[in-house]
Amino acid sequence: MSCGNPAVEGDALMPRRKKYDKTKFCVKCKEAQGSIVIRHAVYCKDCFSPLITHKFRRGLEPSVNQKADGPRRTALKPDGNLLVGFSGGLGSTVLLDLVHRCYVSMDQSTMPSDGGKNHPRHEKVWNRVTVCYVEISGAFPAMRDRTPDVEQYVATYEGLDFVSLRLQDAFDPNWWNAVHASSDDQRFAADMTSEELRLSKLASTSTSTPLQSLHSYLASLPTATAVPTAIETLVRVLLLHTALQTDSSHLVLGTSLTSLAVSLISGVSQGRGYNLKEEMQEEWMPDAEVANLRSEQEQTSHDTKERRSARDGRRKGYVRVVRPLRDVGRKECALWARWRDVTIIGKEPWPWSGAKQGIGALTREFITGLEKDYPSTVSTIVRTCTKVEPKGESAGLCALCARPMQEGLQEWKSRISIRSRDASHDTPPSASASLTPHLCYACHITLTSRSSRPAPSLGLTPPALSDVPLPVWVGSGMPRSAKLSEQQMKEVVQDFLLEDT
Amino acid sequence: MTSPHPHLGIRDLLQTIMPPRLCALCHDARAILKRPKTGQQICKECFFWVFETEVHNTITEAKLFKPGDRVAIGASGGKDSTVLAHVMKTLNDRYEYGLELFLLSIDEGITGYRDDSLETVKRNQQQYDMPLKILSYDELYGWTMDAIVSQIGKKNNCTFCGVFRRQALDRGAASLHVDHIVTGHNADDIAETVLMNIMRGDIARLGRCTLICTQGEDTIKRSKPFKYAYEKEIVMYAYFKKLDYFSTECIYSPDAYRGHARAFLKDLEAARPSAIIDIIHSGEMFEVKEEVKATQKSQKTCKRCGYMSSNELCKACTLLEGLERGMAAAAVTERARKKLDAEGPAPESLRTIPFFQQSRGPHPSVALERPT
Ligand SMILES: [Zn+2]
Ligand SMILES: [Zn+2]
Ligand SMILES: [Zn+2]
Ligand SMILES: [Zn+2]
Repeated sequence: MSCGNPAVEGDALMPRRKKYDKTKFCVKCKEAQGSIVIRHAVYCKDCFSPLITHKFRRGLEPSVNQKADGPRRTALKPDGNLLVGFSGGLGSTVLLDLVHRCYVSMDQSTMPSDGGKNHPRHEKVWNRVTVCYVEISGAFPAMRDRTPDVEQYVATYEGLDFVSLRLQDAFDPNWWNAVHASSDDQRFAADMTSEELRLSKLASTSTSTPLQSLHSYLASLPTATAVPTAIETLVRVLLLHTALQTDSSHLVLGTSLTSLAVSLISGVSQGRGYNLKEEMQEEWMPDAEVANLRSEQEQTSHDTKERRSARDGRRKGYVRVVRPLRDVGRKECALWARWRDVTIIGKEPWPWSGAKQGIGALTREFITGLEKDYPSTVSTIVRTCTKVEPKGESAGLCALCARPMQEGLQEWKSRISIRSRDASHDTPPSASASLTPHLCYACHITLTSRSSRPAPSLGLTPPALSDVPLPVWVGSGMPRSAKLSEQQMKEVVQDFLLEDT
Repeated sequence: MTSPHPHLGIRDLLQTIMPPRLCALCHDARAILKRPKTGQQICKECFFWVFETEVHNTITEAKLFKPGDRVAIGASGGKDSTVLAHVMKTLNDRYEYGLELFLLSIDEGITGYRDDSLETVKRNQQQYDMPLKILSYDELYGWTMDAIVSQIGKKNNCTFCGVFRRQALDRGAASLHVDHIVTGHNADDIAETVLMNIMRGDIARLGRCTLICTQGEDTIKRSKPFKYAYEKEIVMYAYFKKLDYFSTECIYSPDAYRGHARAFLKDLEAARPSAIIDIIHSGEMFEVKEEVKATQKSQKTCKRCGYMSSNELCKACTLLEGLERGMAAAAVTERARKKLDAEGPAPESLRTIPFFQQSRGPHPSVALERPT
């Protein structure tokens, strides 16, 4: 409204940065002089390390056991192995270092001092710890493949397994078959030029390589915002399936407090409000597993138990995604790395002029700028988001990002932005003909929302295809009803059929 | 080589190469504008139609009104409320809502801004043939915004203004005996507020800011029919309809923090215009957890003025007491409030806001300026 301050109803004030004297004494030991200010408190160098390991353990350990932890002293007995998502950046490097010290090399300095030697936390928690790196250079022709560097780096830590993937694996049926032993999933392509994203089946004879499919997919994205978001989603789902493959019940990511705040605001700005919870902690089950569970629930409960244990003795296929550094700011991560002599190999900058134009990059710039003047901003954002929950029932998982999605999205959209005066256009194509009903709001926006400023060219030369290949998991994400058999279709239409057909 | 159309002039030739773009909605008229919200190129008539129909959809989907409702339009003379008055009148006639519409203006007492914009409202009163009620900060609180700014400076002035305006609107509406106030808050305002409330941790407001209609226990319903209308399209609508509005921004600038949020939103919109709607969608898709709600303060009424409040004293009374006692920061920070309390109770002679009473009688208790 014209006052320029429409919705102010109260104090619009944020506490500004206060000045602290680093020469003040450490709040912990009260002896040494302070070396770092963490959210209004001064710590010395010696007290800093236990603080970080404490925050790390506090961020991870309550969610290690399948059932939420009761008393703090119970033993940590995860349901499977641990997968560490590693990008080479600051956060995941510090995470890797902490995971190794706390659970692999059993560095005594990281152990809680209380409870003595027999404290259950001093026992080995994870059978196997695997580090997974997803190389994204396939998206940018000018980017160097750093898989060998990363492999070498991870090898400096003893006792870790290493798996490397490539972004284009998301389009590789061989990878999919390797992850999911048997798979008869149909592969799909979509017409990315329309709001409905009309689906077609990808011919099994299709000659395009996974890399070419990746290029077609990325080149079809409409905005500079969509490209990094799509890459992030591909990496995330690749990691989730790798967790399943390595029998990992837990996937840990090196998201710091600062980057969590950025991803929350960036998520909100891209319409991901329904998934704020997953942005912080996520319990993921692949569609096939969800379908199995549903059919099991339909059986008698007695029957269910036996069938479940009969299923080749494998643990239930769920992955819990945890961000153990979500309470540790970027500055603290950087100091940990410096004081603990941890080398950061860093992420390769994106050789693409769109890298700074998207909503993700704008948000990062905005939040880090704000953090300088209003240091409590990032923790406030995260705290606020933990106090909300998704509204209403979920309508299954999004076929693309594998996160819960809400119902009635298309009705909502067509009510608030009318795109046609012709009522017949309002009836959407059937669920099997269109990708749109299988997508969450944010993924649909990523694929279809345009700007007068189109995405700068990635310099890719994908084969000219009218329909763009979709990631391999999109087939499994389709609810069974979307793939009606001829018999089922006949049942649906039989009331309308005349005799003789 | 012979041209295929030897007798065509350059203009015709251009047209055969590039025919004028047709409206994406009616496929009939020539497109003359690109819609900020969808990017579609459409004609003027279709723009009016989609703009109005979307507001109508918003109103009917939320079942905002029932026939016979008395509805006050919060009118500032600016573009949002001028377009709102026009659209409300149009829809009320077209779809026979059966509403009795009023204009309600608040005079904050800002020289060179509000006095001029009120002239616009008075013209709107004539143009739309609606009764108008003007209520001033001066008559309600004994302070004009000019006087407040001269005491507290330009910092936080929007906080005062916002608190005072909200209550003034409710009081004006009560005196008009209306059931409902509609305000011109647009999609940009709401998106900005969603971001602000997340960033400053205001859970209570985050829960309500995307609601189309809010109602306190005792107060009148307040709705935002322009919840999904882009600011740019409101300006476009006013421009093509040649509406008479006052376009000067308030001379007192918003708080720095909100200014940052606003600039950020503009960047997001430039990157991807759907961002505004996407943020509102996000805000609609979450709600405050039950266990958090339980810890929130319950609604009370202000012991001094009877207006709804979460504390003993409502924000407006606290601000006013701070102003009167020369400690204006009292309602803005906890510490200042404690200092105020430490100085003892408010003196008997303190100027206060008249007690708030909502009468539900059939006739307005105040004289209205009828259009002449
Ligand atoms: Zn210390
Ligand atoms: Zn999705
Ligand atoms: Zn048209
Ligand atoms: Zn009061």
